[in-house]
Amino acid sequence: MTDHEHYEAVVVGAGPGGAAAAATLAKHDVETLVLERGVDAGSKNVSGGLIYAEESAPYTIDDLFPGFREQAAERPVTDYYIHNVAGEKVKTFDITDLHEHDTEWSDAVLRRKMDSWLADRVHEKTRETGGGLLTEVHVNGLLRENGEIVGVTCDELDPIRADLIVAADGVNSELARDAGLMSWEEPDEWFQGVKAVVDVPDVDERFDLGPDEGAAHLFSGDLFEGVRGGGFVYTNEDTLSVGTVFHLDSLVAEEAEPHELLDSLLTHPLLDDWIGEDYEELEYSAKLVPDSKKVAHESPHKDRLVLVGDAGGQMQAQGPIIKGMNHAVTAGALAAEAYVEARSRGDTDLAGERYATKLDREGVMDKLRPTRYELASAVGENDLATSIADGVLRSAVGRFGVRVLGDRLENLYSSPFLSMLAPDTRTPYVTMPTVIAEELGTRVTAERTIETPDLADRIGDLTYNTDVGNPHIELLDNSAEASGAAVSACPVSAKDFGGGCYREETVKTNGDEKTAVSLDTQPCVECGTCAIVADTDWEHPQGGKGVEFREG
Amino acid sequence: MVEFDPTEHEIAEIGPEIKDVDDPDELREMLELEAEGEDRAPVKTLIEDRIEKVEDDEDGEIDPETVDLSEMTVADIANMVRDVDDADVLRDILERETEGKERSSAISQIENRIDSVEGSEEEDGEPAVFKPPEEKYPELDHPTNDKQWVEGTVGGDYRDMWVYCETQAGELIDVSKEMLGKARTLMDDYNDEYGGSEDGTSSGEDEKVIAVLVGADASKHVEDVIAYGADMVVYHEDDRLERFRHKPYTEIMCDMARAGGPLAAEGREDVDWKEYHEPRYTIFPATNNGRDLSALVQGELDSGLASDCSGLYIENEMISNPAKTGGTSDKKEFERVLHMKRPDFSGFEYSTILCIDKPNRDFHPQGASVIPGSFDLPEPDHDREGEIVEHEMELDDEWFRVDVTEYDQLDEGVDLTGHDVIVALGRGIGDDPTRGMELGLDLVDAFDDADLGITRGIVTSSYEFEGHVEQYSAEERQIGETGQVVEPDVYIAAGISGAVQHKVGMDESDTIVTINTDTDADIRNFSDYFIEGDLFEVLPRLTEAVERGEFAKAVADGTGGKNDD
Repeated sequence: MTDHEHYEAVVVGAGPGGAAAAATLAKHDVETLVLERGVDAGSKNVSGGLIYAEESAPYTIDDLFPGFREQAAERPVTDYYIHNVAGEKVKTFDITDLHEHDTEWSDAVLRRKMDSWLADRVHEKTRETGGGLLTEVHVNGLLRENGEIVGVTCDELDPIRADLIVAADGVNSELARDAGLMSWEEPDEWFQGVKAVVDVPDVDERFDLGPDEGAAHLFSGDLFEGVRGGGFVYTNEDTLSVGTVFHLDSLVAEEAEPHELLDSLLTHPLLDDWIGEDYEELEYSAKLVPDSKKVAHESPHKDRLVLVGDAGGQMQAQGPIIKGMNHAVTAGALAAEAYVEARSRGDTDLAGERYATKLDREGVMDKLRPTRYELASAVGENDLATSIADGVLRSAVGRFGVRVLGDRLENLYSSPFLSMLAPDTRTPYVTMPTVIAEELGTRVTAERTIETPDLADRIGDLTYNTDVGNPHIELLDNSAEASGAAVSACPVSAKDFGGGCYREETVKTNGDEKTAVSLDTQPCVECGTCAIVADTDWEHPQGGKGVEFREG
Repeated sequence: MVEFDPTEHEIAEIGPEIKDVDDPDELREMLELEAEGEDRAPVKTLIEDRIEKVEDDEDGEIDPETVDLSEMTVADIANMVRDVDDADVLRDILERETEGKERSSAISQIENRIDSVEGSEEEDGEPAVFKPPEEKYPELDHPTNDKQWVEGTVGGDYRDMWVYCETQAGELIDVSKEMLGKARTLMDDYNDEYGGSEDGTSSGEDEKVIAVLVGADASKHVEDVIAYGADMVVYHEDDRLERFRHKPYTEIMCDMARAGGPLAAEGREDVDWKEYHEPRYTIFPATNNGRDLSALVQGELDSGLASDCSGLYIENEMISNPAKTGGTSDKKEFERVLHMKRPDFSGFEYSTILCIDKPNRDFHPQGASVIPGSFDLPEPDHDREGEIVEHEMELDDEWFRVDVTEYDQLDEGVDLTGHDVIVALGRGIGDDPTRGMELGLDLVDAFDDADLGITRGIVTSSYEFEGHVEQYSAEERQIGETGQVVEPDVYIAAGISGAVQHKVGMDESDTIVTINTDTDADIRNFSDYFIEGDLFEVLPRLTEAVERGEFAKAVADGTGGKNDD
């Protein structure tokens, strides 16, 4: 046996999942080391921005970290709307009831502030067990002994052994992939989100909110060139989180530019009143989102390794229900609980199985992979069914139906049962909202359109610590066929833009002309899109290197 | 029965309770109670510790007047006498030791104590009589005693600042010039301050900067080192010295340093260029070779070395260390001390190293190695005159036992700083990258002092350059945040959009001329002149203009319009 440093538990990643796992482990006196690759916890993290505490959940973030809502969150969500958009016509439904279903509370958050607050507490708690939290350490893989996972390897430190390894290293988890539990193969298993944090000092007045109130607005319809997905606006203390989330396969198929889709939301007249005279964008960011219906691993463990949160695909995005961080918190705490129980029975190797069982028993897995969806998608998610549904909706009969239903549609939208049933086709995302808006909507106009920064400025405003001479992504095949999709799908690249990660180039060799793709990882925001749509060897940068988000 | 039964108490209470118990028997009884009762390991340790302490104290109470010295170690005796203040008692102990085991170290310990109790007679001014260590402590080994590098010189005559000027691959390296410039300033100030002679032992002339050159082509650099500030050059040239090897280089430099002095090699007792013992100061470059050489030379000359210095100055210094002052008084002023400042702990701290003579042993030359880049590169003055001395000595074949069989010259990379003009190319060359690169190079060639830079967009592109221009597409020419930062007089940016990452690498340039087809390109905001056009057409026209000597005119009108700002 090699003489590596040993901890009872190593938690990789200091997001909400890792923090919940570490806090729960520390509470039970498990010697816990937390490794975070950012300069600060939260500097690598992006989320749309709402965290939930579910009434039915066994753990919530404020149970584990008292004072969370007051000190780490922005505003609670007290109003929840969905806007169906067709050009300038908009039909708005109040879906606060849906939002409040099974919700104890829900707050808008910015991840740099939230995660670094959590990390301070995690460090306090884990230090007492003989461990602690280390930043700027990139865990790059699993340590194996006789083929069995026994620890982790890092860029910066010697390998570390542990009886429990919690992979809370996010959507692009290198540990989950090293273990063979997750892959980056199918674009239809992922969403891509891009977000702008916009400076709006007078949020209260513009949204008519009291100090302890906040609003969430969702958008769907024909805003986005037929790309399946939607948009959101969440109110923070004195900023807005404005973002768009699309099915990655749809983005690739339409060759859409994510930053332009975000701009079409930002410049819609509906947002005019909310943003005000001067548009000041504080940060542009992007993130990949797993579609838990398809990728949430049903048995997220192997040997001593357990997957928590995005790393295990635990991100619930079903229609207007978008919940990720709360499930990560529950999963992290359950993984810790499973380990503690296994330890008290004298066999820590049982932790993984107990964790999977707990995810089932506590109802987490059913939220992530609803049985109803698995049945419905078999019928609803094929092209024929889609065109029939679209055809009916667009026909006179369908339109009549929409008019007749009128405001009762609002109630239908508010049904959690329907949301979880909705198939992943353009029908609910595009056709239905468009028809609703066309038939029922009122026209919205604005006096001016705001000017959003171009991609070069968005990249220029981000903070990078470039690992010069050591790019973290390697392009394995630079042909347009293999990797061309990244040029538009990458949120910091675009066709005819030379300053991004992926660029399309015409290469002439001996009179032959072909299109090739080149890669510069310097502007990379580490979202992972190209790992799926291009042929790459994808790793995270070394600890402390790469992009540093200040809002998140 | 003991007063205190540990089994009836918590661990926390036991410590304070037993700390006042001095009777080891009572403590042993407690230990027994605990062992039979609760048997708590930490409690037992606590009590055992106390027993040990109590018994030690009892042992400690020895009476120096009656104790049997033969059962004590020298260290015990030393500890004991430290507490005895009565000189008579001490003399009694001394007598008993002398009659008993007669251990010299014990005796000297007791004598020292008597001295300090009575007050040494030597304290009123007379310096201690120096006894060499091997005489003072004959019972100890003196492994350095017969080593050739202990010269044991006292009160030698030292003059001048010697600078070892390193050459690499036939070139005088920058740090050699930097050291010469620094030495010049230091010695000019020195001569103003001290006016040459120290104590009349040598002529009252100004002290000099002496450059040392060793190598296969040493004579090639003599004019240069004088231009950079040397008063005299001593050089040794030999074909076998083509590459640095520390043995012959050390022998040569030490031979030079000793020439004309009491330790000079045979045949060099009298030289017309030097009549003192050894250099006053020596400075070396803190390069790989310079570090190697400096340590060996300073060791051979029986002095010390402050390695990797970043600052040097000469000042008088008050010293209180008795090893240096000879213990004659509280403080003594040492004159003309070279202060050698060096970074510690990666530059978090600085220390200043002084190399000072002892009363019975000189520490000269005062030597330092200097980190390259610590001092400014001086302007050469080619009219300066200096004395040139060719040093001659036989080089023993033995010194060349280590042979350099193979070597590689590292690629230094490209330094784009310091040029008058930089021509920079961006992804605007994408339509025909090789042709774009050729046009950029043509323009570079048209200027007297220019070089070619590129953007990161080109470095990371998949452009397939033809062989003759491919070398220009490498990272070593990249300008910007993750590349080089340049500030030439004229920066010509062709086909560059001007992302902020590029901007930080060039926007301190005096005049920025931009060629771009896109009038909305960001770079326009920080250009002095913006030429709207295709670089494939504009670059050749600019090249022609430069060749005609009409560059400024071409930029200002002809090929483009002046920018609004």
